[in-house]
Amino acid sequence: MMNRFNHLPTLKIDAARKIGFIYKNKKYYGVQGDTVATALYANGIRIFARSLKYHRPRGLYSLDGECSNTCMEVDNIPNVRCENTQLKEGMVIKEQNVKGSAQNDMMSFIDKMDWMMPAGFYYNTMHKPAKIWPIAMKQIRKAAGLGTLSPDFEMPGSYDEIFPNTDVCVIGGGPSGMMAAIAAAKKDLRVILMESRPSLGGFFEYRKNFHNRSLELAKEVNALENIRVFTHTSMVGAYNNNLITGFQIGKPSDVFDQRYIEIRAKSVVVATGCIERPLIFDHNEKPGVMQIGCALRLANTYGLLPGKKAVFSIGHDLGLEAALELHNLGLKIELIADIREDGQDPALLQKIEEKNIPLLKGWVACRANGRKQVKSVEVSGIDGLISKTIACDLIVASAGMTPVTGPVTIALGKLKYDAHTGFFMADKLPEKMHVTGRLLGLDDPRSIETSGTLAGLQAALDCENCSIKEIGDVKKELENLPGPTRGTKLVTAPVKGRKSFICFDEDTTIKNIKQAIEKGFDVPELIKRFTSAGTGPGQGGIPGHNLPLYVAKYQALPDISIKPTTTRPPLVPTLLSTYAGTNHIMLKTTPMDKMQREDGGIFRNIGVWQRARYFSGDFTCEKEIKNIRSNVGMLDASTLGKFRIHGPDALKALQRVFVSDMSKVQHGRMKYSAMCNDDGCVIDDGVITKLRRNDYYFTTSTGRAGQTVEWLRYHTRYDKWDFHVVNLTDAMGVINLSGPNSRKTLEKIVDIDISNEAFGFSEYKEFTIKECIPVKAMRLGFVGELSYELHVPSSYMQSVWLMLKEAGSKFNIQNFGVEAQNVLRMEKCHIILGQESEQRTNLLDVGLGFLWDRSKSDAKTIGAVALAQAESDKTRLKLVGFKMENNTRAPHDGSLIVDEKVRGYVCTARDSFSLKEAVGMALVEGPLSKIGTRLEIFEDECGDDRIYGKIVAMPFYDPEGSRMKM
Amino acid sequence: MALTITCPVCGKRNGYEFKYGGEEKGPRPEEKDLDPRAWCDYVHMNKCVAGVQEEWWFHKDGCGSWFTILRDTTTNLEIEKKEAQNDEQV
Repeated sequence: MMNRFNHLPTLKIDAARKIGFIYKNKKYYGVQGDTVATALYANGIRIFARSLKYHRPRGLYSLDGECSNTCMEVDNIPNVRCENTQLKEGMVIKEQNVKGSAQNDMMSFIDKMDWMMPAGFYYNTMHKPAKIWPIAMKQIRKAAGLGTLSPDFEMPGSYDEIFPNTDVCVIGGGPSGMMAAIAAAKKDLRVILMESRPSLGGFFEYRKNFHNRSLELAKEVNALENIRVFTHTSMVGAYNNNLITGFQIGKPSDVFDQRYIEIRAKSVVVATGCIERPLIFDHNEKPGVMQIGCALRLANTYGLLPGKKAVFSIGHDLGLEAALELHNLGLKIELIADIREDGQDPALLQKIEEKNIPLLKGWVACRANGRKQVKSVEVSGIDGLISKTIACDLIVASAGMTPVTGPVTIALGKLKYDAHTGFFMADKLPEKMHVTGRLLGLDDPRSIETSGTLAGLQAALDCENCSIKEIGDVKKELENLPGPTRGTKLVTAPVKGRKSFICFDEDTTIKNIKQAIEKGFDVPELIKRFTSAGTGPGQGGIPGHNLPLYVAKYQALPDISIKPTTTRPPLVPTLLSTYAGTNHIMLKTTPMDKMQREDGGIFRNIGVWQRARYFSGDFTCEKEIKNIRSNVGMLDASTLGKFRIHGPDALKALQRVFVSDMSKVQHGRMKYSAMCNDDGCVIDDGVITKLRRNDYYFTTSTGRAGQTVEWLRYHTRYDKWDFHVVNLTDAMGVINLSGPNSRKTLEKIVDIDISNEAFGFSEYKEFTIKECIPVKAMRLGFVGELSYELHVPSSYMQSVWLMLKEAGSKFNIQNFGVEAQNVLRMEKCHIILGQESEQRTNLLDVGLGFLWDRSKSDAKTIGAVALAQAESDKTRLKLVGFKMENNTRAPHDGSLIVDEKVRGYVCTARDSFSLKEAVGMALVEGPLSKIGTRLEIFEDECGDDRIYGKIVAMPFYDPEGSRMKM
Repeated sequence: MALTITCPVCGKRNGYEFKYGGEEKGPRPEEKDLDPRAWCDYVHMNKCVAGVQEEWWFHKDGCGSWFTILRDTTTNLEIEKKEAQNDEQV
């Protein structure tokens, strides 16, 4: 393990606290504050991964995760960006996309085969003959790609989401971002400040001369209570209405590993600053080549000297500053090649001269030599006429600065190329969005800070908390400070470009770009797609601005026409788990949930509910069914939709949504009816009871309960009717007591006369049990037997349930589940909407046309117009009952009815214990619906075998209905 | 969701809380002598304006009311009713 500096004030590590981790099955140590990448670097690891296509060795380059160079498998999670991941005790780190190891990858020979794989190689080859593709695809998929994931992988960790509101959202916690946050906060506004690194400071944080200032600013930010700071939080999306999304990586003390943050702000300040513009030369991504910030932060933040002997090839004063700092820390600097002929900071030049560091102006690195790592570098004049080779193990290379414009472009701001700075600058910004700091091309620390204050005040003005005069004063102040610095224009060193990489993630070279242009792809958007430059995990971090600049240069286009490619969210690779958030179980349970489970109920998720579907391992439910037909059983039907509607216009509202004439419902009686949509398709059925004048209680099917209030209000929205509808679904439970012995059971717990004369079929009664439990009782016959539906307040459900259980113990009362009910009602041909209907099935198709009352056109009943039109339509499917031929088994639900074409489908079919044969219901074309027609049934994967049924009259069981009326 | 919607009861809220209810097309036509084509148009035909349209929204995770707003379909932003009405007068 390398020795760490421990005297630097800028350090973010605690070298005394060791952290152990496993890399390639061996134990290594990093220190507190390390990222996975720096810990590996400290242990001498230089080759982190192999590239996607050519399997070239890759190492540390930017330290901010702009490329996939350091993507590894960490704790079984593939494609983790090691530069952005804090080291934790016991982490297990593996290499990915290698055959062998990253150091010795058996696939590395592919690098020499690049001549075989020009741009668009996949598009041009392997499709003739078509048979080749499946074979080739398998091999390519094995050789290319990043991490692998097994299909049964379960993502570890906990994920969260928050949706804060704020006045001002500042993206970027560098000097200008912090100043903006402070300025806005001092105007009494609530501010959210996001910083993608683990601590505030940005451009000031890791530089010796500015470090103290960054601490001062961070202290001021933290002292202001109305600034909420999110560190280690990357912004990933920006949408209209100033909605900003991001994700935060949790600290060990946080309850989440990552969390999604969706911020709604009145005003947004973008202070994302700059990254370095990658310098393009031959082998510019070989391990040992890194950017200035990477080299400097390795030393100043993590206490690691990045190499022994270095050559700098830079185009910005930061390079000179870094060379001086690193020289002072013991790095031997063989040469600084500065792209710029002039324009350097004279003070820096003087110091470099004092330290005797050789400096060549107008020179640039043009080739990195070395098989796997840098051994030497060839530098040349920018015209390429003279060159020399210098031995070194580190090349610090960058062409200059490039602004992080992603947040602006995904918020649909427009960019324009600025010739002075060489930057893409925000030209047209969305409303209430401001850019500041280095995004404006500013370099002078005072200018950066002042521009931050200005942006903060402009944001305050958006929130109407700042005067225009105050803004004018700061503007003037900024004008007197140094403006944007001149940027370098050089995009590539003078090279042919066969091994000069413009995009590391996708292994795209300059040569590939040229090939694409020669083929006629003349704009960056097309070139990006054809060469896949910028489509990798780095989200265009490396080629983002180089691609359009190079394309313009190669085609000798004027500056004005240079347009970067579109940026889309997520700006930074984000885990799907983070977007998904916490996995809440949203299912509802009924009051009888626990008791039914204790009785052996087997539960299934049905819609929004968990319901007891079976009460034994016999999924045909033979015992449950026979018990209902001959004895007595109980079903928890609490999931039924239950509503009360009252008010002067309640009846009108019911007339609108139900197809029957609701004015005919008599007090104390019930009516079964259905609701249709405007196409006449049946969407719901239920029972309506009149409690008193303009006061009704009605039920809906389980699945529709959630939409009923919305439906009623939607379809009466123009009428200004006075009614109130209350959803009682969760307030009331329902017990369905069924079977020939159900009256004898119920009698024991009620005080009133419930004989058939006093409480007949289709009647409604209200009574109390034990003088306190109010019950709404309905005599219905869904399962085709004597049956009572008891509507009980949810809080009393368990009591009534236990009372019935005790009362029925003499008959050995049993539970029955949803499946038994399904078979019982099917034998009676009582339909369940959604099972005997689908979206296109109308009221007439399912044989419920008798419910529709045509005499109430004034009510404008939903569906009535469409039903009138559908009445004469002969092409519609009809619901029919059938039984199977030769006593064969029932077909699966959903099997097709066929002849030479599909003619319909089976809705529900079961082997009936009551009838001792297989019966079912099907929706078939009109001509097939006559009784006696033979149905040819096609089941999934049945091949040429068919089974046959015959249409019979409905219902199958007790056609007279005497059993439910007894 | 970037869209915010101003509910007449609950005020300006996140678009996630609402359910879309279609373009404003006026009340249901009288059924007497209604041409089937006119009915079909009323139910199914939409103008699909690229610009400001009046449309219905339901505050499903709130007060449960149906109301209309003006929304610019090109920017997916709600337009204040007052502003739009003033524009009409001009």
